[in-house]
Amino acid sequence: MRDRDGDRDRTGHVADADVNEEDLKQRIADRMPQCGVTVPKPGRLIATVPRDGLLSLLHLLKTDGFEHLSLISCVDWIDEGELELVYHLWSQEKKVHAMAKTRVDRASPRMLSVILLFRHAQTYERELHEMFGIDFDGNPRQVPLLLDHWQGIPPMRKEFDLRRHARETFGVEERTDD
Amino acid sequence: MDRAQIPKILKSPANWGRKYSLWAVYFCTGCGIIEIPPVVTSRWDAERFGVIPMATPRQGNLFLITGYVSLKTLGAIIRTYDQMLNPKYVVGFGSCPVNGGMYWDSYNTIKHLDQYVPVDGWISGCMPRPEAIFIAVTHLWTLIDKGLADGYKRYKDNYDFYCANQRRVLPHLPKFACGTGTETATAPATLRMPT
Amino acid sequence: MTEPDAPTATAAPRELEMYFGPQHVGMVGNFGIILTVEGDTVVRARANPGYLHRGFEKLMEYRTYIQNFPLVCRLNVMDPDPNEALYAMAVEDLAGLDVPPRAHYIRTVVLELSRVSSHLMWMWGYANLLGFETLGQWAMGDRDYVLDLFEALTGGRVYHTYIWPGGVRRDLPDGFADKAYRVLDHLQSMLPEYDNLFFNHRLFADRTQGLAVLGRDDALAMGVTGTNLRATGAAADTRKDEPYAAYGALDFDVPTMQDGDSYARAVVVRLEIEQSLSLVRQALEGMPGGPAWTKMPNPFKWEVPPGETYVKIESARGEAGFYMVSDGSDKPYRVHFRSPSYPVGILVLERLLQGASLSDVGHIMLSLNIAAPEIDR
Repeated sequence: MRDRDGDRDRTGHVADADVNEEDLKQRIADRMPQCGVTVPKPGRLIATVPRDGLLSLLHLLKTDGFEHLSLISCVDWIDEGELELVYHLWSQEKKVHAMAKTRVDRASPRMLSVILLFRHAQTYERELHEMFGIDFDGNPRQVPLLLDHWQGIPPMRKEFDLRRHARETFGVEERTDD
Repeated sequence: MDRAQIPKILKSPANWGRKYSLWAVYFCTGCGIIEIPPVVTSRWDAERFGVIPMATPRQGNLFLITGYVSLKTLGAIIRTYDQMLNPKYVVGFGSCPVNGGMYWDSYNTIKHLDQYVPVDGWISGCMPRPEAIFIAVTHLWTLIDKGLADGYKRYKDNYDFYCANQRRVLPHLPKFACGTGTETATAPATLRMPT
Repeated sequence: MTEPDAPTATAAPRELEMYFGPQHVGMVGNFGIILTVEGDTVVRARANPGYLHRGFEKLMEYRTYIQNFPLVCRLNVMDPDPNEALYAMAVEDLAGLDVPPRAHYIRTVVLELSRVSSHLMWMWGYANLLGFETLGQWAMGDRDYVLDLFEALTGGRVYHTYIWPGGVRRDLPDGFADKAYRVLDHLQSMLPEYDNLFFNHRLFADRTQGLAVLGRDDALAMGVTGTNLRATGAAADTRKDEPYAAYGALDFDVPTMQDGDSYARAVVVRLEIEQSLSLVRQALEGMPGGPAWTKMPNPFKWEVPPGETYVKIESARGEAGFYMVSDGSDKPYRVHFRSPSYPVGILVLERLLQGASLSDVGHIMLSLNIAAPEIDR
C-alpha cells in the first residue's frame, strides 16, 4: 500500500485523475460480466455477484488495491428466504470503500471461507456462524466467540423473537401504555 | 471523626474497622467501571473513605458490580463472590443491575442482580457520578452499623433460592459451584425474594 | 469453557492451561484470555471475549431511530462520542439530512476531546501497569478536566447523548470556549511533564522497545487500523482518507513511528494527544456561526427511506464503522458495528502473546489499546 501524502489537497482527498469509481465499475464489469456494479456516491462501490462468483470478485478487488477487509456483514432478508453477505473492502490507494455482496439460502446457508485472501476474516466468519448459523467451508475455527453455552437458534436471525426470549428467560415484561 | 464516635467504636470495633476499610475487589464487570478510576485516583480520592481497589477477592470485602451483567460475567461474579471472605458487601452500580437498564430486553444480560447474588445497596444512574458512589459508601456505613448489611448471611440462609436462579440462567454451572445441582429451576414468575 | 477445540487432552505435561482474567488487575476491561503456559512462557493464547456481549445489534432492530440514539454511545465506554457520530452520519446518509457547518465544528471539538480522554485513560492503565503510578494519577486527574468540559457542554461526564442526526443537540453554552482554552492550556503544559516522567524515561524505553513487534505488512493483512497501524509506519487515518465533520478544513499531522513495538505504539498515542489539542483549538477559533442542528423529522413517526450505507470514523483506536440497512420502517433493519479493537483483540493479540513472557501479557494487551466493550458489543 502506498502512502500518498505528497498528493494530498486541502480536503485530504487524493486527486487521482486516472482512477475513479466509474473506471473501477467498468473494470469489474469487463472482467466479471455476471457482477452487477453500482456507484451510489463518490467513494463507494457496490458489487453484487451470485454465490459462486464471490471469491473471484474478492480476488479481483484485492489485486486492484482493495487490500483492507473492514468487516463481513450479514443481513437476514427473511421475507426473501435469503441471507445477504456483505464484504466491506477499502482501497487506501484509491480511497474507495467497496461492498462485495452475495446471497445464500436461508434454510441451509453455506459459504466458502475467505481466510486465504484475508487472514482476519476468520473471526468475522466465526461470529456470523454463531449469530446467523452460516457454515463457512474452510474456516477451522467456527466455535463460539461471544455467546456462552447458548441453547437457542442463532440470535441475530429475524425469527428469534428478542422480547419473547427476555420474557421467558428473565421474566421481563414490555411496558404497555395504559 | 468527633468524640461522639468513641462510644460507638468501643461498642463495636469490628463494625468500625469493616466500614472504614471497604476494599473493593478489582473486577471491571461492565461499563460502569469507567467511573471507578476517577474515584480511586487523586481528584475524587476514595481512599479518604477507606475504599481502595484490591487485586484479589480474597482480600476484598466490597464487590461493586459496575454496570450490566452478561451471562458469562454472572458466572465469573458468582465465582468471585464465593471466594470473598465474610463479611462481604455487594453494591449494584448503575441502572442495569437494578432492572436491566438500557438492555432490559437483551438475550445475554440478567435483569435483576439480587436474584442471583445478595445485594446490600444500589446506586442508580447511567452513569452514576463519583459523588453518588461516596454517598452510597456512607449509606453502607449506616447499614453496617445497624447490622442491616447482611447480604452474606442472606446468601447462606437462602442458598437454595440463589442457586435455583443461578442454575436457571446458567444451566451449565458445575455441581460443586452451587448447591447440590438438584435444585429445580423454577419459572421467573414464581420466584419470591427472601425476607 | 466455551471452546470445544481446547487441546487439554493432548497438552504436554509441563504445560499449564489457565484463565487470565476477567478478574485480574492486568485486564483491560471485562475480557479474558485462555493461556497455555510452560513455566513463564506463553505457548498459546486464545482470546476469551463475550463477557460484555449485550446483543447490541439485535437490540437496535427493536428500537426506533430516536430510541437508538441514547444507546449507541454505550458501544465503547472509553470513547463514546465516535459511536454517536457514526450513528448520526449513517442516519443522515439514509434520510438525506444536512448538517450545518457549525455542527461539524462542534462535532470535531467533541470527537477530539473524546480522543484525548480515551488516550489519557489508556495512559493511566498503561503507566500503572508498568509501575509509573504517579503518571497514572496525573493522567486520570487531567482527564477529569476534560470530563468537566463534557459536563458543561452536554450535561454528562461519560455518556453525552449529544451528537445526533442533523447536528448536535444544543449549541455551545456561554463561556465554554474560555473554559476549553484553560483546559487545553493545562493539558499542553502537562505534556512535557509526562515526557519527563514517562515517555523519555530510560526504564520505559528499556521495558517496551522491541516488545510485541507487529510488522507493517502483518498489520495491514490482519485488519489493524489506528494507532497500532501508524506505529508500524503506515500513515492511514480516516480523518485524512475520508474526511468527515470539519477535519477537511483543519490542519493536523498524522504521527507515525516505524518499529511497530510497544514503544512505538505508546509514542504514537502521546503524539496524537498533542495533535488533538491543536485540533480542538483550531475548531473553537474557526467556529462558524449559524444553527447547530437541522431539525429532524418528528422522531416519534420517523420512517427512514430504504437503503444501506457504510460510514466510518477515526476513533481513538482506529477505524470505527457503521453498516446500516433500512427498510423504510421506523426501526433500522440491520446495524453492524465495525470496531477497531475487533481484529486486534482476537487474532493479533493471540499472535503477539505467543512466546511472550507471562509478565508481559497484561502489558501487550494494554499496549495494543484494546477496548473490550467494542469487541463484544
